[in-house]
Amino acid sequence: MKKCLWLPILLFFSTLLSAQNPSKVTIRGIVADTSGTVTPFATVMLLVPKDSTLINFTRTDDKGIFEFKNVKNTPYLLKISYIGYLPLQQYLPEAPSSPNDLGTIGIKPISTELMEVVVKTAKATLSIRGDTIEYDASSFKVPPGSTVEDLLRRLPGIEVDADGNIRAQGQDIKRVYVDGKTFFGSDPKAATKNLGAETLSKVQVYNEKSEQAKLTGVDDGKKEKAMNLELKDEYKKGSFGKITAAAGDQERWAGRGNYNRFNEKEQLSFIGYGNNINQTGVNWEDYGEFKGQNTFNDFDNGDFGFNGGGRYYYFNSDNEPLNNFDGRGFTENYGGGANYNFDNKKAKFNASYFYNETTLNLDQYSNRQTFVGDNSFFNTDTTNKVDFRGNHTLNTRFEKDLDSNNVLIVKANTRFSKSNTDNSQSQLFTEDGITPTNTLNINNSGKLNSFRLTSAAIFRHRFLKKGRSIAASVAYNNNGSDNAEDLFSINRFFKATTFTEQIRQMNDNQNDSWQFKSSLLYTEPLSKKWFWETFYNFSKSNNQVDRQVADPENNGSRIDSLSIYYNNDILYNRLGSSLRYSNEGMNVSAGVAAQQLNLTGEYARDRQAPLLTDPIDRTFLNLTPNVDFNYEFVNNMWLSLNYGYGVNEPQFNDLQPIPNVNNPAYRTEGNPNLGPERSHRVGMNFNYWNAASLSSIGFGSDFNYYDSQISYSQTIEVIDTVGIRTTTRPENVSGGRSFNTYMWSNFPIVKTKLTLSLNGDINVGKSPAFVNGVENETDNKGFGLNARFNFTPGQKLIVGLSGRVSFENISYSIQEEQNQKIQNHSADASVKWQFASKFFFESSFNYAIYRNDRFDFDRDVPIWNASVRRLFGKQNRIEARIAAFDLLNRRINISQYGSQNFVSRSIAPTLARYFMLSVTYNMRGYENKISKNNWW
Amino acid sequence: MKNILLILTLLFFAPGIRAQEMEGAIRYLVTHNWTKKMAAVDYISKQQRERISYMWGNRSEWKVYTVLYIKGSQTKYEDSEERAEPDDEGYSWRKDVYYIKRDLEKNTIYDAIQMLGKTYIIEDTLALPEWKVLNELKEVAGHVCMKASLEDTVKHQKIIAWFALDIPLSAGPERWCGLPGLILEVDVNDGGMIVSADKIDLKKLANELDMPKKLKGKKVKEADYIATLKKHMEEKRKAEEPPFWGIRY
Repeated sequence: MKKCLWLPILLFFSTLLSAQNPSKVTIRGIVADTSGTVTPFATVMLLVPKDSTLINFTRTDDKGIFEFKNVKNTPYLLKISYIGYLPLQQYLPEAPSSPNDLGTIGIKPISTELMEVVVKTAKATLSIRGDTIEYDASSFKVPPGSTVEDLLRRLPGIEVDADGNIRAQGQDIKRVYVDGKTFFGSDPKAATKNLGAETLSKVQVYNEKSEQAKLTGVDDGKKEKAMNLELKDEYKKGSFGKITAAAGDQERWAGRGNYNRFNEKEQLSFIGYGNNINQTGVNWEDYGEFKGQNTFNDFDNGDFGFNGGGRYYYFNSDNEPLNNFDGRGFTENYGGGANYNFDNKKAKFNASYFYNETTLNLDQYSNRQTFVGDNSFFNTDTTNKVDFRGNHTLNTRFEKDLDSNNVLIVKANTRFSKSNTDNSQSQLFTEDGITPTNTLNINNSGKLNSFRLTSAAIFRHRFLKKGRSIAASVAYNNNGSDNAEDLFSINRFFKATTFTEQIRQMNDNQNDSWQFKSSLLYTEPLSKKWFWETFYNFSKSNNQVDRQVADPENNGSRIDSLSIYYNNDILYNRLGSSLRYSNEGMNVSAGVAAQQLNLTGEYARDRQAPLLTDPIDRTFLNLTPNVDFNYEFVNNMWLSLNYGYGVNEPQFNDLQPIPNVNNPAYRTEGNPNLGPERSHRVGMNFNYWNAASLSSIGFGSDFNYYDSQISYSQTIEVIDTVGIRTTTRPENVSGGRSFNTYMWSNFPIVKTKLTLSLNGDINVGKSPAFVNGVENETDNKGFGLNARFNFTPGQKLIVGLSGRVSFENISYSIQEEQNQKIQNHSADASVKWQFASKFFFESSFNYAIYRNDRFDFDRDVPIWNASVRRLFGKQNRIEARIAAFDLLNRRINISQYGSQNFVSRSIAPTLARYFMLSVTYNMRGYENKISKNNWW
Repeated sequence: MKNILLILTLLFFAPGIRAQEMEGAIRYLVTHNWTKKMAAVDYISKQQRERISYMWGNRSEWKVYTVLYIKGSQTKYEDSEERAEPDDEGYSWRKDVYYIKRDLEKNTIYDAIQMLGKTYIIEDTLALPEWKVLNELKEVAGHVCMKASLEDTVKHQKIIAWFALDIPLSAGPERWCGLPGLILEVDVNDGGMIVSADKIDLKKLANELDMPKKLKGKKVKEADYIATLKKHMEEKRKAEEPPFWGIRY
């Protein structure tokens, strides 16, 4: 304070005198230590007194002499620093004449122990303020739970006696302050004995005026040693959370809340929600805050293969409680969980538990047209489904850096699920859309309990030779489920003579499977640019299915024709190797892998019954090449090309020789001679980013060609006792292919104000299938285009306009008149407007058009949402929002689909117009502005 | 007292490294921290900042090596071939053009910098920034250093530099220089980027100070380069997008 007063006075006088003073001055002097020995090569600086800005510097010569020649004659702060000495600062007023000879300037040594220990051993910063020396307490290591006293004992220049009395630089410490304030009275020991060492960031020792001088205000010249303990910044420790309650008309309600506590090493969070507004989980923002540092993990994949090197981030998508409502029906949802993360840089640990449940009430109306030869059959379906699902999920993950070259990751996830389904369906089958053939009424219910465990351990080791590394993984997975179904259906026939058939079944499905797998990856650097990678994968898995079908009309005796028990084993081995070249943005790798797959299976009516067929024993051996090319051009352009040959083994269900007849109108049969699916895959991707014009563009293509594709051939027949019966059977067909290409771009029309994004995609595909023995090739041609304008005229308003058009043409080789043209278009407008401080208006309007000319289907769905919200309180902690969803009351879910030999369309009502008032309390407060980007 | 005398004697006979004689390479370890860079931008809210740090705080660091070659009053700074992240072995990123050449005697700069997809070649005289010299000492790479600070008003950066009291060379990493000693450590925006010398190798240099032969770029003056940079920073700030991609932090 004193300094601050003196400075302007000095400046004032110096300006008064400046008339006589020379404009340039030479400043010289000699630097010596307290004993009078000159100090050569000391750094001498001239600073601006008010803010220490460096103006000029020099060094003393071997006689300790320094000189600044002809510098501007203004007041300076002369600063001299020399290793092992306290930096000296001296105020130099404007000189009355030149040269300004300062004579000998003495500098004081820093105690050697202090210098050595503080600066060198503990690597602590040493701050000097006049004669106060301060050091960073966190650099001195003390065992956890130590008090400040324990820490002080380790600090150089400080002694603590048995009673806890403190001496610094030979003098008693009379007072100890904490953050500049007296701590529990004047006993200096109160703070040092009670505070934990880990709470400290700094220890300062300085001289202060005696208590007497403070009281009287008369400086008696006596100085007392005092100590200040500075506490660590609190920002690394804290808590946040928010809670929302919302109520609407038609008994709509929602509630959610989350609470997080964290410190430097730990994060603990709780989350909970409940609603009947179709939010089946939490949103992305809340999920990220719930999982915290464990939202993304790297190196989590233990199934090594081509391109095993390189770092990828894995989103913990397993069992995620994210909102995933598919737009159909009405749901009631509840969920909640806790997450704990620990991270001390060497070890990371995460554990989380989550429970979520959803009850879905769905009504759906579908139309399906199936083509057979020159005929086609129509099927209209009305389904009502009540579905309950509840999951308990427990996830744990542990990562430890054993040392700088060894890392271990262990993780285990378990999940218990329970679901109840009640399904009632009524179907009407007609020929040519006019003549009814039969009706089918189905009432099925089921109860499913299932358990899943996935666990893995991944170990990585880096050798001393740069680039040489090995990674190994083991994993064990286990699934079990028990599904009890009660099936009831009535089939009425109108053809020939009317008669009715009734089916009653009680099904009990037990599914148990386990898998053990292990992988190895070895990388050897051949030179700086060439690498050789080798990997090996092993997996053994077993799958047991026991499906017992009983007839309740017949004392629950087993229906042999529908019951089955099977036990399958898969043994998988893959050995692959690739060569990689990487240099200056070019990364190319080429390799080949040999994979062998052995499938064995036995089929019986139940566990004890004799085998129905000879056991299946199939072995597939394939070579799969793989080529990858990535190149980074100058100026932010990237190109990647890849080719792979994929082999996918058939699913056991598809090999099963016994037909599955859950629904009398649909039979699925397996094919014991089915071969694997084999395909060539070529992909290309290009990206360009122009940072200067804030624009980017990219495009890519994928092409798949099947040597052998698993296609479900259909036999459609009219059977007197069933009506129209469809039997599907998997077969290997060749010639299927798909090609899709996509592009996106993003560029400003008016920089920072108006941006245009354009996306487009083209899909072309050909899939062969056999229907009643005749090959039918389905051609799909799809085309879509998206355009979006983003307009941000100022800080208060964001307007978005977008449109999408999409066309899909489906043509069939055997019944050209059935070719379909499906169109789905939409236009979208949105606005975010802060119309007053703390007041926000948000609205969006979407107009969707669904069209299919062949069916004369034409439906428009406009959806309009609007809300106003206001922030309350000094820190904007309370937000109240009134929102209207689907103001026009038109929301409905429509999907159109076409494939192989059928086209289908379905409509499902869902939550339409409702109004809601919500109030949120947010511990952190909301920001009183609208953000342009929610991404970072 | 004995110790002090000993140190004094040592200091007298080994008075630091003389600028005129110095020749060698200094390796700097550069630690980038994405969440701390985000914490320093001014357009995002406290809430967003906290969320980024809460979700990414422990996984947002990456490290690279750079090197400063010194031969008398000539220095050249560039990215090192050496990789600081062991997991980067086997994948090669394209290096941006970045060569910072200084002649501290003639006060000239000759820099080649790739920025926003363009290469600029800057030839100009060296203008010294306005450092504030502070009263703190610490050790970096075996040298006692003094603290200095600087405000970069173009890139909106708060820079803390530590310069060696015993290496009287006004050079440093990146484009920083002008202190009474060699800058051995720099902290930008509270840990957004930390450049810290970890190996000082005094040796005879071959042709390390030469610029690469094939160097094409737009020839500009320092003021033009700063103007381009400033325009970009302002645009990004208006668009509320991170300004640090596409430029050297």
